[in-house]
Amino acid sequence: MNLMISLSKYLPYIFEGSLWSLGLVLGGLGIGFVIGVMFSLIQVYGSSPLRRLISLYVWFFRGTPLIVQLFLFHWSIFPALGIKSTPLITSITVLGLRSGAYQSQIFRGAIGSIEEKQMLAAKAIGMNDWDAISSIVLPQALRIALPQISNEYSIILKDSAICFILGVMELMTRAKYTAIATGIALIPYLMAGLIYIGLTYIGTKLFDLLYLKMRIPGSVEG
Amino acid sequence: MSGETVLRVKDLYKRYGDRIVLKGVSFEIRKAEVKAIMGPSGTGKTTLLKCIDMLVKPDSGRIWLEDLELTDPRIDIGEARKKIGFVFQEFNLFHHLTAIKNVMIGLTKVKKLPKDEARTIAERALLKVHIERELWDKYPAQLSGGQKQRVAIARALAMEPMIMLYDEPTSALDPQLTGEVLEVIKELAEDGMTSLIVTHEVGFASEIADEIMIMMDGKIIERGDPRKVIHNPRREETRRFFSKILKIGDESR
Repeated sequence: MNLMISLSKYLPYIFEGSLWSLGLVLGGLGIGFVIGVMFSLIQVYGSSPLRRLISLYVWFFRGTPLIVQLFLFHWSIFPALGIKSTPLITSITVLGLRSGAYQSQIFRGAIGSIEEKQMLAAKAIGMNDWDAISSIVLPQALRIALPQISNEYSIILKDSAICFILGVMELMTRAKYTAIATGIALIPYLMAGLIYIGLTYIGTKLFDLLYLKMRIPGSVEG
Repeated sequence: MSGETVLRVKDLYKRYGDRIVLKGVSFEIRKAEVKAIMGPSGTGKTTLLKCIDMLVKPDSGRIWLEDLELTDPRIDIGEARKKIGFVFQEFNLFHHLTAIKNVMIGLTKVKKLPKDEARTIAERALLKVHIERELWDKYPAQLSGGQKQRVAIARALAMEPMIMLYDEPTSALDPQLTGEVLEVIKELAEDGMTSLIVTHEVGFASEIADEIMIMMDGKIIERGDPRKVIHNPRREETRRFFSKILKIGDESR
């Protein structure tokens, strides 16, 4: 019983961790979105040296484990560049760079699925390339990509747990500290698991709502 | 140079791989004139229209819109395309925009007009093609083919082009919907809109065109007064072409 009481004192502590986790996820997803859109545009419309450079980037971030990337940036790349980073900053940056690699591929596919004729029609009314891309191609591509971005959210949410390795005060780290402090492993980790499930559920529901709101009326897909 | 001439095409060539699609096409259109291009499928008619709008780059030959040479690589082609209305066979409306926004976007993005002014012009263009108010906020997927094509015509029209190019504007439509689109094109032509129309509609072409040009195998093989070209052509190929499509037309009736 005593154990339960001491455990309950840790509840707010664990819950606060989910805010940190959300911060990691939203930060990573946001940075990844900006990188993903930019890089996908370069991959579709850019010159071939740039395209190759981005392929290399994607190849690295998709080909190596997150934990390797975290260590590499925190202990090697950032120090070498003279950047004084905190675990939180490194984690958000790495999650963002990594998600950018995945999102660039999502957007590349979405842009590729838009008919060439949309671009042709935009040019025919006198639009330059940038206007045609930003006001015709991208708005349609974003809608197509949305379900996959929702999927990316649920992946990055679970990936963020690995940031405990740098000691970021997110959900997993706090669950672990609680387990150590109370000597009970089951309940803190179970709670962390449930919170991850809850956040996944709420997040993907929100994405579903956004998808419905953005859906083009009358269109067949979705 | 004759101020009357709106479009001049001179000796246009275009090749895709080892297939030569255009083999020296030349013609002119004067202000308020309507010309129809007819001919079997795959003879370069669409390519010709796309070359005029520089959506496809011709290999050689020159094109002028009044005094502006479109084939001059130094010109701002976007600036030139504003003055050419292009109507696609498959409408190509912007899927994510409502009917009225499809018409407005060229005005706000390309002509940089303020929103309310763009809206006024768009409303006028839509009414001109008989798209009534209740359809303005519909998305393309909610419109019939005939409505879509008329919105597409309004989109081109709103830019106040010097010439309209129609690329088989009714070929993708159900037969019962072609009439409403042809009617709009005819009304615009009668209002003095210079038009170049690629079409398979023989009756329509003979009714509104000042001249029909018959294209075969990348060349204009015959041109002249519609009735004469249709009913009393000089070339045997022309006669065979019309007898074929007129016969098909009879059978489907």
